[in-house]
Amino acid sequence: MNSSDAVVGRWLAATGPEADVVLSTRVRLARNLADVPFTHRAGPDEHARTVEVVRWALADTGYMTSGRFLDNDQLAEPAGQYLTERHLVSPDFVASKAKRGLFVSNDETISLMVNEEDHLRFQVLTSGLDFPEAFTAAAELDEKLEGQLQYAFSPEFGFLTACPTNLGTGMRASVLVHLPALVITREIEKVLRGALHIGLAVRGLYGEGSETKGNFFQISNQKTVGQTEWEIIETIADISRQVISYERKAREYLMKKLRVEVEDKVFRSLGLLRGARVLSSDEAINLLAGLRLGVTLGIVNEISLEQVTRLLILVRPANLQVLLGENLAAVERDERRATFVRETLVHQ
Amino acid sequence: MKACDLCGKGEATMRVSQLDKNGAVTEISVCAECARERGFTEVEKLKASVAEIIAELKTRIAEGDAKKVCHSCGLSYAEFKRQGRLGCAECYSSFHDELLPLIRRIHDAVQHVGRTASGGRKHAQMKMNVQKLREALSGAIQAEDYEKAAALRDQLRRSEEE
Repeated sequence: MNSSDAVVGRWLAATGPEADVVLSTRVRLARNLADVPFTHRAGPDEHARTVEVVRWALADTGYMTSGRFLDNDQLAEPAGQYLTERHLVSPDFVASKAKRGLFVSNDETISLMVNEEDHLRFQVLTSGLDFPEAFTAAAELDEKLEGQLQYAFSPEFGFLTACPTNLGTGMRASVLVHLPALVITREIEKVLRGALHIGLAVRGLYGEGSETKGNFFQISNQKTVGQTEWEIIETIADISRQVISYERKAREYLMKKLRVEVEDKVFRSLGLLRGARVLSSDEAINLLAGLRLGVTLGIVNEISLEQVTRLLILVRPANLQVLLGENLAAVERDERRATFVRETLVHQ
Repeated sequence: MKACDLCGKGEATMRVSQLDKNGAVTEISVCAECARERGFTEVEKLKASVAEIIAELKTRIAEGDAKKVCHSCGLSYAEFKRQGRLGCAECYSSFHDELLPLIRRIHDAVQHVGRTASGGRKHAQMKMNVQKLREALSGAIQAEDYEKAAALRDQLRRSEEE
């Protein structure tokens, strides 16, 4: 088994703009049906009806032909964790006991959760820094659904959401960036403080409360009222472009002043990935992050950015098990992970 | 022990400032009994009780807000404050005035700009209902329940006309 056989989302192709720093761009919209109580206050019949009506709307707008719809049974573990690791659902959605539904497009760029905190939460994930593509696709789905469903909306407050923090546009726009050089040069705090200062949020790889494993950071808007979608997006795109230029400068600096140290870090990462016999998920992610830096700097040429980016998802516990087609205990999993990574990164 | 300046008997436990007609302040020592009779109160204690009254009033006002209930879903404002989530779209009108300062605090704004919903469309819902009625109708026909079938047929006609 080699990682190139595995199917992963198109957003992991690492082909988007600024892919050396930006892994992905995400636009998420929250919508609710006007005549149903919000998810946490709706009853089982209402949950079931919401799932059904959204499913109907997706079929009627033609989305169902390019994706699949999963219901509660198909969302049970390990599928839930598998989908979370792929950034297609939230942990809260997986943990919920209510009747839920999930639409995922075949290329995994679009996903839509029914009965998360809001009745509908859909997102578009694209590779690299690409808000035009992400937002256009999200707005298109929004418009088509709006032709089928009656949204909860007020001219004063905009799209009405269960939590007032999502009110208005109902939009959360974010970029997932890899900033190893800013971390090494200890400039990261300064840069992230700048983002916080203008009202953006900075989080780890898996959103709220998650650690910043492997020096991956997620930058997103916090305010959703009083600015248009494009204004929000422009703010994040602006700060992203700044962060990208700082990170590139830091990488240049490292290559000029600390080349040996950087090469050492990169080749140690590669050496461990190619040699280890037991590899935990966290260790693999940290080593892959080190390798990723080497690939973007041209220190390692025989491995592509896409390969490394795909591995970042495929080495995670649930994805690894689905890929290997086996349910494995943690110890055995770490062994099989090491074998899988070794075979994928074998000298070419 | 110092005797009370008023009755001359009890033990003086309190100093009281008095203001005479000419505006001169004299201080006397009084016992607890005389203080109670004349309504003298210690300033510190007075301050404390004013604070208590204000706190009590505040809680009552807050309780009044908290008892407010959404006319549509029945969620109380207290429940919203506890769990941070509203119950339905109508809650935004039911608790409009209470929510305004909160929304301003979160977003630095209270007026939505950006995409709008045209509203009023429920095509998916309607089509789904029609489909369900059709299925029920063919089921009734198969079961030879013609009375039910007739009723479903009328219902279907009405739905399709909408």
